[in-house]
Amino acid sequence: MAKPDEFKPDSPSENPKTEVDDENGDDGYEEEEEEETEEHELDEEEDDEPEPQLRGRIPQSAVRMQQAKLQGLFQRLQTQTVPLRVHDVLIKGNTKTKDYLIESEAALFKNCTTMQQILEVSRAVNFRLQALEIFDSVKITLDSGPPELPGTSNVIVEVQEAKSPLSGEIGAYTKAEARSSTVEGTLKFKNIFGHGDLWDGSFAYGWDNLAELSAGVHFPRFRGASFPLDVRAFLLSQDWLQFSSFKERSMGLSVALLSSTNHDLVYNLGWRTLTDPSQLASRSVRMQLGHSLLSSLKYTFKVDRRNSPLRPVRGYAFAATSQIAGLAPDSRCSRFLRQEVDLRYAIPLGILNSALNLGISGGIVFPWGTGFKTLPSPLPDRFFLGGNSSPISSLGGPTTVWGYRTRGLDPTEPRRQLKSNGGDEDAADPGVDFLGGDLAVTAFADLSLDFPLRWFRDRGIHGHIFASAGSLERLTQNAYKDFSLQKFVSSFRTSVGAGIVVPIQPFRLELNYYYMLKKFEHDRGKPRFGVTFSM
Amino acid sequence: MEESRDGDWTLVARKPYFGLPTACPVCLPVYIYLKFARCPFNLEINSAYPDSDQIPYVEGGTYVAYNNEKGGVIQQLKQDGVVDLDSEFSSLPEWVSMKAMMSSWLADAITYELWLGSGENSAKQIYYSDLPWVIGKVLFVKQVYDVKQRFNISKQNAEKKEEESERMAVIVSTIASANTMSKNKLFHPCRPTSLDADLVGHVLFTLKALPEDSVIRAALLEHGNLVRYAERHKNDFLTSGQSSASASNFQPPPSAAQARLMESLSGSKPKRKPKREKTEEEKSFQRKAKYFIGAQLVAVLLFLSLLGSSSKADLDEDDED
Repeated sequence: MAKPDEFKPDSPSENPKTEVDDENGDDGYEEEEEEETEEHELDEEEDDEPEPQLRGRIPQSAVRMQQAKLQGLFQRLQTQTVPLRVHDVLIKGNTKTKDYLIESEAALFKNCTTMQQILEVSRAVNFRLQALEIFDSVKITLDSGPPELPGTSNVIVEVQEAKSPLSGEIGAYTKAEARSSTVEGTLKFKNIFGHGDLWDGSFAYGWDNLAELSAGVHFPRFRGASFPLDVRAFLLSQDWLQFSSFKERSMGLSVALLSSTNHDLVYNLGWRTLTDPSQLASRSVRMQLGHSLLSSLKYTFKVDRRNSPLRPVRGYAFAATSQIAGLAPDSRCSRFLRQEVDLRYAIPLGILNSALNLGISGGIVFPWGTGFKTLPSPLPDRFFLGGNSSPISSLGGPTTVWGYRTRGLDPTEPRRQLKSNGGDEDAADPGVDFLGGDLAVTAFADLSLDFPLRWFRDRGIHGHIFASAGSLERLTQNAYKDFSLQKFVSSFRTSVGAGIVVPIQPFRLELNYYYMLKKFEHDRGKPRFGVTFSM
Repeated sequence: MEESRDGDWTLVARKPYFGLPTACPVCLPVYIYLKFARCPFNLEINSAYPDSDQIPYVEGGTYVAYNNEKGGVIQQLKQDGVVDLDSEFSSLPEWVSMKAMMSSWLADAITYELWLGSGENSAKQIYYSDLPWVIGKVLFVKQVYDVKQRFNISKQNAEKKEEESERMAVIVSTIASANTMSKNKLFHPCRPTSLDADLVGHVLFTLKALPEDSVIRAALLEHGNLVRYAERHKNDFLTSGQSSASASNFQPPPSAAQARLMESLSGSKPKRKPKREKTEEEKSFQRKAKYFIGAQLVAVLLFLSLLGSSSKADLDEDDED
């Protein structure tokens, strides 16, 4: 006897097909009721009485019976575990894309043992295939398995490859190997070799006079590997003439070996050149001009559990970046160790959506190798404090003390003095070069709260009161012998202020008033209104 | 960088090699000039910037004299009043012509030999041995290209340019040899000048840094007195060390240092020769100087006539307009 309550989907002649995703990647699945109603059979027992052949008309009793069966099926799917395995994954529609790429993304199906798991995995696989950016549409359909294997199904993955391999985009990014956020324009060529490869050429401009031209390729699973591979060739130029009397130009290769939500591992090989076209550099900068080879491995661990990086009200964030340079058989390349740590914590206060944000960042850089105690640290890799970014949203090491201008904190050194044409009198003061520090620590406290007016609250505009502190110290060239914690703490500069925050996704715009509580002679900061822009 | 901290002035130059305190043909004359002036200075080595035209440079406090400004380091030190060994001679026509020969013909011949001739290995040792291999290789190729552009050398005229360079070097060597035949110095018998610094620097570099199959080196070796002259001065400044007694007198600003230096130079006396011999030598020197000026004029006219015919045609067109 057939048991109407028992679900047995396998049947040689009437095979149920379930389309679980469409080209838009909907989360739910659809059943084609009309076709499946005709084909789907729940009872094992064959109906001895043949159905009458009606032209265009189905008896109402048959329709009601099928609807009842379908409702029963849905109910069982929601309340019971329906055992079902995937026998095979069939791929259709890929003329250029290699099968292994789609099969590797669909490998999760192998571990499914129930219908519900298959539906969940289908959603995930659809998302991952769409994320490859090489398909215009992805459709996943469940079909019954071979009749000799009951309790199995086949998964049909049907893809439509992108008609146009070329695309362009403009956006704001923060890369693991970059020092600051950038605005980029990118041109992409997709899937040229069928490995899901994405080739791109891009031009980027950063806030700190950074210009970068680069070309790269991204392999989602190169040669079957389980992790993506990113290789990028770059040509980078950064102008620090105004602050430190040098220009930096780098060219080389960057390889992202590991990239996930929490971990980034990047290898950089670059030829770096520091020049001084102005010929006004101070002695310490003059000593560093020239060519060097940078071969480094940089690992970043980041976890951000805050509710929002633009306006954190609760949660914490932690980031640590370690860099080791000098990974080359040639001992003449640049060698140093660099470590940065960031910690942020947001405490909700419960009134007017207010929160107290606390943060501390620290960093140290030191050369290694023969004679490391007397060597200076490379100038571009030192820590410089000051700038127009907010420390709340950025997790890139000690960079900002509110109110101080870009690279605006001591230590400094006088620049070259030129003789005027009028004889023995000196020419106008050329100023100082900001040299950065080998040890840097910054800290801040920020109280944010909503404005009483609803108009501001609806747009996320809120106010904040803040205080920040920071200091730099030299450690290299035997300067560490004179280092003392007390002296370092007493060298902290402090500032306070208040302002308005306007979140413009993905940016955080602040309009602030700063007041310096403590500054040194050459520090570039004074009571003023200012704007910070960060992402 | 390697650094010694004995004085306030610092000369930043290329690395030492081949038994020379600095093996760069541009840096060595500056080093010798400061030694002649008995100016206490530290020597710092820059091996990371071989293609910089700022090096060598002399720095003291916030004062810096770069090589690519005001006609070179030595000229700038003279103009700024830091150290001037040529104050009495720089307006003399024979001085000007001799200086032009040293800084153009001989210097260009050495540059040609170093980068385009037999001195390739020497150039790599001096400029690129402290840089990573790939950077050194690329910079060397770039430098060779720049030198070819500077001398306007192509495949068609490469051989001709090489012969011309060697000929200029031979001419300068001959003239220099004649002038140093009977006295210790090139221009003035009693005191060294920047001409001596140039000549000693170029000769020492040619003898020590260029390989044995170098044509310029072979031409120089034919003038034994030049070799002895250069070796004598080399032994002097390698064994004299820093002048610690006068170190405290040399402090920035440059004007104060110049005054002290000129006092010390004007107070110096010729070492061994009595007054009578000095007078005869001066007469002989003046006679030779006149012959020398004549030979110079002929050589310059010959040079211009062989290679400057196109510029004369331009001048004729301008005259017609």
